[in-house]
Amino acid sequence: MKILVIEDEQSLRENITNYLNVDGNICESCSALNPALQKLSDYDYDCVLLDIGLPDGEGLDVLQYLRTNQKNEGVLIISARNSLEDKLKGLDIGADDYLTKPFHLAELKARLMAVYRRKALNTNNKLIFNEITIDVQGRTVEVNEASIILTRKEYDMLLYFIANKGKVISKNAIAEHLWGDEMDMHDNFDFIYTHVKNLRRKLMDAGGKDYLTSIYGIGYKFMG
Amino acid sequence: MKLSAHYTRTSIYITLTVLLAGAIIYYFAINYIAQQQLDQGLQQQLIEAEEYVRSSNQDPQQYDLDRDHAVFTRTNEQKLQKRFFDTTYFNPKAQRKEAGRAVEDLVKLKHTNYKVVITISRAGQKYLIEVITIITLVLLAGLLLVLFIINKYMLNGLWKPFQLTLKEIKQFNIADVDQFKGKPSKVTEFAELNEAIREMSLRVTYDYLNLKQFTENASHEMMTPLAVVTTKLDTLIQDETLSAGQLEQITDIYGSINKSTRLNQSLLLLAKLENKLITDNESINLKTVLSEKMLQFQELMQTKYLSFEHNLQPKQLLASKYLVDILLNNLFSNAIRHNNTGGVVIIELHGEQLSIKNTGANYSLNEQLIFERFQKGKESQGTGLGLTLVKNICQHYGYGIHYEYDSGWHTFILKF
Repeated sequence: MKILVIEDEQSLRENITNYLNVDGNICESCSALNPALQKLSDYDYDCVLLDIGLPDGEGLDVLQYLRTNQKNEGVLIISARNSLEDKLKGLDIGADDYLTKPFHLAELKARLMAVYRRKALNTNNKLIFNEITIDVQGRTVEVNEASIILTRKEYDMLLYFIANKGKVISKNAIAEHLWGDEMDMHDNFDFIYTHVKNLRRKLMDAGGKDYLTSIYGIGYKFMG
Repeated sequence: MKLSAHYTRTSIYITLTVLLAGAIIYYFAINYIAQQQLDQGLQQQLIEAEEYVRSSNQDPQQYDLDRDHAVFTRTNEQKLQKRFFDTTYFNPKAQRKEAGRAVEDLVKLKHTNYKVVITISRAGQKYLIEVITIITLVLLAGLLLVLFIINKYMLNGLWKPFQLTLKEIKQFNIADVDQFKGKPSKVTEFAELNEAIREMSLRVTYDYLNLKQFTENASHEMMTPLAVVTTKLDTLIQDETLSAGQLEQITDIYGSINKSTRLNQSLLLLAKLENKLITDNESINLKTVLSEKMLQFQELMQTKYLSFEHNLQPKQLLASKYLVDILLNNLFSNAIRHNNTGGVVIIELHGEQLSIKNTGANYSLNEQLIFERFQKGKESQGTGLGLTLVKNICQHYGYGIHYEYDSGWHTFILKF
């Protein structure tokens, strides 16, 4: 997957690029509107990560540019503004998803993968990871070609883990992904354990490998 | 009391005093002038009588001058001071007594002294004074009436621009887009007042917008560093050499970031609510939303071994889905957070009322304080804005919200 990160905050940009630059992904970045437009006219990307609060102009201009030039990049907006109008405006003029700061890198990657999958749905509507096959359209999971029944949360969790395979994911990130960041979790994430345990058991019962490792004190890791 | 009433009252008092004083002075002046004239007449008659007596040279006792009474009496007094005095006058035609004026003097005739008293009627003069008094009183009453009417209608008319300005000031909302205009007035004072208010409102609105923008920008600017911290931590936890203890510290930092994020968002939302910026109303089936919420909080409930009891009847609301979500999140979250382990949360929705009831501490909370900003229990891990948001959302939609305590049960009741 080829990704362009447009973000003016240097450390944020570096962290994002480093996190995304795995599994053969090519991640490029720029810090302002004009170089971004230059890059978009020179190359094709699969996904564009766009901070709409750029110093040299409205980030939304990028969306306008992509639309007028009929380019097919998936766009994920990141914004410091949580307001509904901004979200709708972003999605209205052609963004595929909207992420509010602050966010977890795992969340960013999962959203980016989802945007990418949606864009590539015509050619590939199956997500295959070793013996696990996920039909993202039908929301069904097969392990070794035998289908398994997952609850909604387990399914979401599996997608989330696969998108972030090989990375340690904090319980906070998982909780925010599954229950939304509006919800006050009371800093108690013990209940995630039950869901992880059930997912792990279901995968292993169907003959899958044990991918899920608990990282004591912080969260989980889905071994890639 | 209205200014015009004050003015009317004062002006009527002053007018009344001045007019009454004027009337009294007027009365005495007229009286004095009329008396002077009578006295002059008497003096004339006295001279005529003396001349007549001297020329006729006979006993003047029977003397009668026209219809005026002149009485001559022989006297031994050698000297008598001429004097004018009030007396009664007998009108022979009307056969009745009237007020009269008389003069008394000494007339000498051949070494004999006569005291002469001439009396004339004062009725004409009294009549004149009466007529003048009546005219004056009528004028006075008329003047008062006119003053009253002028004050009542004219003054009210004069104050109309002021009242319009006042009305506009009352309706002035700092968050509104439309500015204070003020009806143009020809009266300098009102024109100046309008101008001053217009300038003030512009300044206030400008400052307010500035401050609002500042608050918004500050809140948003804070999100980027928080995003940097989060992503740095996300990167940091990939390090396999970190110990479990270090990772636990990081989990706590995540928790704090999450809290400051929510705090920030709550403050922004409060600001929006206060400025009435949320208008995306839609029809919401509250029963469905409540059922979803119970599902959403299910795991959180299980960690404290809590159970839900519910009795829900259908209810449609016209509100922002986002706000209703936040409202319920806060109420549910509180009912769970402040519950005892193994406690119960009872949710009832019927008619125009939603109540969320939970077991908890054995003392009542202070209803006055709990809805205030940053009022929270010592052990509470919340932002301290949850119930403030609840109250403001309720106010936004005109719902009533109150708290009740009954032997270990804490209830929040929402009336639509």
